Order: sequence, then C-alpha cells, then structure tokens
Amino acid sequence: MAALFDELGGFAAVSRIVSDFYDRVLDSDILAPYFDDVDMRRLVDHQTKFIASMLGGPASYSNEALRQIHARLNIDRAAFDAMKEQLGASLLAHGVSPRDVTNVIADIEARAGYVITRN
Amino acid sequence: MSSPGTDRPAIAADAPEFVRLGRTLLQSTEIGLAIIDAESRVPLLINRRLEEWLGDTDFDAAMASVPGLDWASLGATMGEGETRQAELELKVKRRAAAIALRVSGQTFGGRRFLVVEANNVSKLKELEYMMESYAKMLERNERELRREKERAERLLLNIMPRRVFEEIKAIGVSTPQRFDECSVLMLDFVGFTEMSVAQDPSALIAELNDLFTAFDRIVEQFGCERIKTIGDAYMAVSGVPDPAADHAANIARSALRMVRYLERRNQGQSSQWRCRIGINSGPVIGSIVGAQKFLYDIFGPGVNLAARLEAHSGPMEITLCETMVPLLQSEFLLEEREEAELRGFGKRRLYRLRGETSGPR
Ligand code: HEM
Repeated sequence: MAALFDELGGFAAVSRIVSDFYDRVLDSDILAPYFDDVDMRRLVDHQTKFIASMLGGPASYSNEALRQIHARLNIDRAAFDAMKEQLGASLLAHGVSPRDVTNVIADIEARAGYVITRN
Repeated sequence: MSSPGTDRPAIAADAPEFVRLGRTLLQSTEIGLAIIDAESRVPLLINRRLEEWLGDTDFDAAMASVPGLDWASLGATMGEGETRQAELELKVKRRAAAIALRVSGQTFGGRRFLVVEANNVSKLKELEYMMESYAKMLERNERELRREKERAERLLLNIMPRRVFEEIKAIGVSTPQRFDECSVLMLDFVGFTEMSVAQDPSALIAELNDLFTAFDRIVEQFGCERIKTIGDAYMAVSGVPDPAADHAANIARSALRMVRYLERRNQGQSSQWRCRIGINSGPVIGSIVGAQKFLYDIFGPGVNLAARLEAHSGPMEITLCETMVPLLQSEFLLEEREEAELRGFGKRRLYRLRGETSGPR
C-alpha cells in the first residue's frame, strides 16, 4: 500500500486527485452538509490527510485517532459509503487501476467502525 | 440585496456599437466586476459573474465584512488611481470560495467611482491549503523519524563501540579485525548464586545494573570499552577498536578501581559483592556478530586467557600472568604467585595485581 502514493507520482499528482475529490464531496448532497461549518482550509486539510493516509502517503492515523476525531460528527453509513464512492470515482478518473481502487476502498471499509457513529 | 439592477448607468439607445460591446464583455468576463458611486455607495453595476458568486449575499454587507478593507469609509478616503487589495471568503453554491478583490478609485466626468475587480482564486487557495497540510504532515513525519533514529542510535551505541557504529553507518558493514596490541578484563562475582539478593530477581537486576553502570564509568574513564555483560560477568577491553598505547595500564587501573569501588560499596551493606578479575594482554578479533541481533564482540586467545586467569582469582583479587608483566611492572605492584596449568595455554606463572607504585594504595 505504501507504494501507491509514490507510484502515482507523489504529492504533485495526488494533489489533482485531492482537488477533484474535494469538488465531488462538496457537490454531494449527503456529504456537503458535514462540512458546512468547516472553513476551506480545514476542509482541504481533511481531504489531503484522508487521501494521503488511504494511499499510503506521509500520514497515517490509528483507528483510535480516527474514532476520536469523528466521534462527535454523527457520520452515518450512507455518508460513509458516499465518501468511499466519491473517492473511488476520483481515483478511477485519474487513471488509478481498478485493482488498486478496490484495495483502497477495502482499506477504507475496514475503518468504517471507527468513523460511523450513527445508525 | 441592494441589487442595483445591472443596467443602472443608462446607455443611450444611440450609443456607439463599441459601448454596447463593452457592456456585453463586462457581463460575460470571468472577472467579477462592480462599479460603485463613491459618495452614495450605491452600486451602479454588478456584473453577472459577481452576482453569481454573491448569491443571496448583499454586496455592501459582503464588502463590509472583508477584514482590513474598511469598506464604509473607502468611498470618502480613496483618491483617483489608488488601489486596495483584500480577500473575501464567500459561500458559492454552499461551498467556500476565496475571492481576491482589487478596489480602485476612479474619477469620470467629475464623479468619483469605486471599481471592484474580483477574481475567484478558490482553486489556488485550495492548492495552497493542500500544500500547507502536506508540508505539515511531512514535517511531523520527519520529526518522528528523527526521534526514532536517535533512539536507535543510542541503543546501538550501547552494544557497539562508536567507531564500529560509524563504520556501519558509512559503508553498511563492519569487517572483523585482528588487534594484537590490546588488553582484556574479565570480571565475575564470587558466590553470586548464593547471595540473598539472588532470591529476588528484580532487586538483583537493579543491583547488577547499578554495579555495571559504575564499571562502565570506570572503564570509560581509563580509555577502555565495555564489551558485554553476561549474567554476572563483565568484560572490557582497551586497544579495541581504537589503538591505545597504554592498553595494559588502562586495564590494570580499571581493575583496581573496580575492586576499590566494590570495597567501598560493601561497607555497611547487607549484600556483599565480591569479584574476581582476570586481566590479560594478547591478540583478539573484534567483530559484529549475529545476523539478526547485532552485538560487537571480541574473541580469540587474548580473551580466553583472561577468562582462565579470572577463574584463578580469589575474592577481590586481580590475576594476570607473565604476558602482562613487562607491560605493567614499572608502574604497578605485582605479587608473584604459583605456576598453574591453564587449559589451552599450558603452564603459566600467575601474578596478583596489588596496586600502583605511585598514587592511591
Ligand atoms: C476512513 C475514512 C476517513 C479518514 C481516514 C478520515 C480522516 C480524517 C482526519 C485525519 C481528520 C482530522 C483532520 C485534522 O484536523 O487534522 C478528519 C476530520 C473530519 N472528518 Fe474525516 N476521515 C474519514 C472519513 C470521514 C467521513 C466519511 C466523513 C463525513 C461524511 C468525515 C468527516 C470529517 C469531518 C467533518 C472532520 C472535521 C473537520 C474539521 O472540523 O476540521 N470523515 N478526518
């Protein structure tokens, strides 16, 4: 996994994915409301860290850290799935192989229990 | 919204073609544009792009909210040709957008206007924030890495001499090396297993730790290297891996200090630590051993003889044989003992190291 971030061309290439993902998240009726009160700097911070950590970039968060960060955000299954789906679409649109995308999605899914706090 | 209707400055129906063309261009450009009457602050024109960005937000209120711009007094204070720059954060279609503003004062037909040019720099900002975020991640990682590296270095320096460590760091390996001019010290404790403290493992470890730390300080003081400890045994060397002209004296002095340290420590203590020490000068091989677990170790006849001599020591005695005599006799008090058969070395004359000819003792 550690390789994908670098394989794609490091930050320069991944920044395009982050930018695209950012647009998709804000265009999503399910996801955008979660970030309504979050200013642009912090939102970008989230997308950057999210993608860097899921692609094996220079960030990694323990499950416990993820749980604490999202504990009060009331994230439900639908929002979690939407996030997964948008990231998958972003990755595919930027030439990431379907196999790698499947792996990334599976990694995100493995974290579901620490991010989803609402049925 | 104090929306001006975008056609406030009436254009005569017979205005020349280029005037009407200009108007169309103003409306369709990517740049947001507003022209405001400086006296009344009534907007004369807000182009379509800017309206789109503003959405439901009132233009005047938005401008008044820009930090550092002081919009309310701009109309009165801004002179011809003067400009101000500022940044406005708006929600455009419920998403945060960064708008870069440039306000300039213009005079036309005796009337003063404020012209506001607005650029959507969201994508630029986004990239800026992204780089900020990324740079912080890298910095954090680097900090952690450095801390981790320092920790690893400290651990490695515990198990190998600095010179060997530097060699491994520089070229990745350290080759075994033969040292002819060096001296070895072997120490262990007498009646160790019968000591009462041996019944309490954690107390035992704490005491041994204490003793070996003191020994480390002693050998370091005399230019020796601690090689290893095995259980209650302690091994040090001088002349490995860095050459030392006085290796024999260094080791002899260390041995005397260790005995003296124990004597002092034993006063008024319930646990009496009594050591035996063998010292010897002779060739050894120094090398990193172990493929998975690194350990710098020495072996060879120099080491083996020191071990045999240690076994011939009484409690709190330091034993050596004739190999060391010429190296020590001018500076140290040596007491001749019996000859002994040493496994692998034949008959050897033993000596007891009693002290230095000058200095303490
Ligand atoms: C495995 C999936 C996810 C990962 C790895 C992740 C990662 C992160 C990280 C690292 C932060 C903290 C940013 C910081 O302040 O340093 C964060 C905050 C946040 N996350 Fe996530 N996230 C995930 C899923 C989600 C989902 C599904 C949502 C919403 C639907 C979400 C919404 C948020 C929000 C609203 C914040 C707070 C932003 C702020 O106030 O600064 N996250 N996330």
